[in-house]
Amino acid sequence: MKKILSVNDLMHRRGRIFMVIGLSVMLMVPILIWLISGVGPDGGKLALAILGLSLLFLPGGIIEVITYAPFLGTGATYLAFITGNLVNLKIPCVMNARELTKTEIGTPENEVVALISVAVSTLTTVSIMTVGVILLIPLRPVLEAPILQPAFNWVVSALFGALGYKYYLRNPKFAIAPIFFSLLLGFLAPAFVYGNVLIVVVIMAVVSVLFAKLIYDRKWV
Amino acid sequence: MFLATNDVSLLKEAWWMYLLGGLVTAFIILGSVYFGIKGYQQAKELKMPQATIKKTVISSISFSVLPSIGIFIGVITMAGLLGIPLPWIRLSVVGALHYELMAVSVASEGITVATMTMENFVTIAFAMTISIMWGGLFALFFFKKYQAKVLNKVTSGNERSFGKLLFDAVFIGMISAYLGDAFAKIFRYDTKVVVDGSYVIDGQGNYVLEDNRTFVPIIVFLSAMLFMGFLDLLIKKAKLKWLENFQLALSMLFGMTIAVLLGIGGIY
Repeated sequence: MKKILSVNDLMHRRGRIFMVIGLSVMLMVPILIWLISGVGPDGGKLALAILGLSLLFLPGGIIEVITYAPFLGTGATYLAFITGNLVNLKIPCVMNARELTKTEIGTPENEVVALISVAVSTLTTVSIMTVGVILLIPLRPVLEAPILQPAFNWVVSALFGALGYKYYLRNPKFAIAPIFFSLLLGFLAPAFVYGNVLIVVVIMAVVSVLFAKLIYDRKWV
Repeated sequence: MFLATNDVSLLKEAWWMYLLGGLVTAFIILGSVYFGIKGYQQAKELKMPQATIKKTVISSISFSVLPSIGIFIGVITMAGLLGIPLPWIRLSVVGALHYELMAVSVASEGITVATMTMENFVTIAFAMTISIMWGGLFALFFFKKYQAKVLNKVTSGNERSFGKLLFDAVFIGMISAYLGDAFAKIFRYDTKVVVDGSYVIDGQGNYVLEDNRTFVPIIVFLSAMLFMGFLDLLIKKAKLKWLENFQLALSMLFGMTIAVLLGIGGIY
C-alpha cells in the first residue's frame, strides 16, 4: 500500500533531494576544474587543510542546524543550508518577514513565510552577484573605494542593531541578562568575543533562554 | 587533460570557470524558484491573504540587497588570489563570507599570487568546498529526526507557553552576542593583515595582526537601532504603513552611512 506523506514529510523529501543534488553540484566544481585542467590537488596538503578546517566548521555546522532550523522551518532549512550565508542574511531576513507578517514559529503559516523569504532572499543575492560579476570592471573601483569600506565592514552591526530594536522592545525583561553578560564578556575578553562570535551566539542563547525561563516561571512576564 | 596550460592566472579566469559559475547560479535560481512556488502553493492551500505573501516578498528583497552587496565585496576581496569565478561559486552555494576567508587562509597557507601554482589552486578549490559541507550534511541526515524529537515538542502548546517564547529568547541571545561583538571591539580588535585576498603569515607560521580597536561598530549598532525606532514612530504616528517593508533596510543603510561619515571624519 502506498504510504501517504504529510505536507511536512513531503517537504523533507524534497529538501533532502535538493540537498543531495546541491552538494553534488558543489563537489562537481573542483572535480571539473581538476578534469579540465588536468592538474589534481596535492593530497597531503588537502587532507591537512580539510582536517584543520573541519575542526572549525564541523561543530559550527551542527550548531547552525540546531540553532537556526527552528526559525526556518522544514523547507527553508534545506534551502538555506544549500544557499549559505545564514547568520548574516537568511536568518535575519526570515525573522524580519515573520515579524512583519506576525506569524508564529512552528505554524504552517510561518513555514510558508520562511520558505518564500529564503527563496526570495536567495534570488536577490544571486541576482546581485551575477550583475556584479558582469559589471565588475566598472563597479570594482566604486565598491573598493576606501571611503565606502566602513559601511561594508560594519554591515552586520547595522543589521543586528536594527533588529535589536524590535526584539529588545518586545521582550525587554528577557533582554536584561543577555545584554548584561554580552557587554561584560566583551569588556573582559574582547578578543574571545570578536574571534568566536558563533560560540558567543550559543553562549548568549543559553543565557537568554535560562533567564527567560526563570522570569517566566516566576510569572514576571 | 583538455587545457594545455601551466599558467594558473589563465586557469582562474578561464571562460569555462565563468561558465561553471553560471551553471551553479542557474541551479540555485531553479531551486529557489521551485521552493518559492511550493511555498506559494502551500500559502494558497492555507488560504493565507495575498497581502501577507506580498509583504514577505517585498521585505525579503529590500532586506537582502545590502548584505548581498557585502557578500559580493567578499568575492572582490578574494579575487586577488583566486580570480573572480571561484569565490563567486563558493559564495553562491553553501558558502558564507567569514567561512570562506578562513578556508582560503588555511588552504593557501604561505601562498601568494606570485607563487601560486595550478596544483595549489585546485587544492584550495577542493579544501574550500569539502570543509564547508558539514552543515548541509548534518541537515541532510539529522534535521528530520531533530525536528521530530525536539522541535515539535517545543512548538506545540498553548499561546503563552514557554515554547513560543523560547525562540524569541534564543534570538535575543543572538542579537546580544553581536552587541557584545561590537562592544568588544572598543577594547581590542586585532585584524589579520590581508594582502591579495589571503591572510599574511609570518616566519613562525602565525598570522600577522594589527590592533584596530574601534568605536565605530557600537555606534553603527546603536544608530541603526535608534533609526529603526524613529521609523517605527513614523509608521505608527504618520500612518506610513508601506514603510514597514523597508524599515530594516533603511535602518541598516542609516547605520552604514554613519560609519562612512565617521570614516570621512577620520574615525575608523
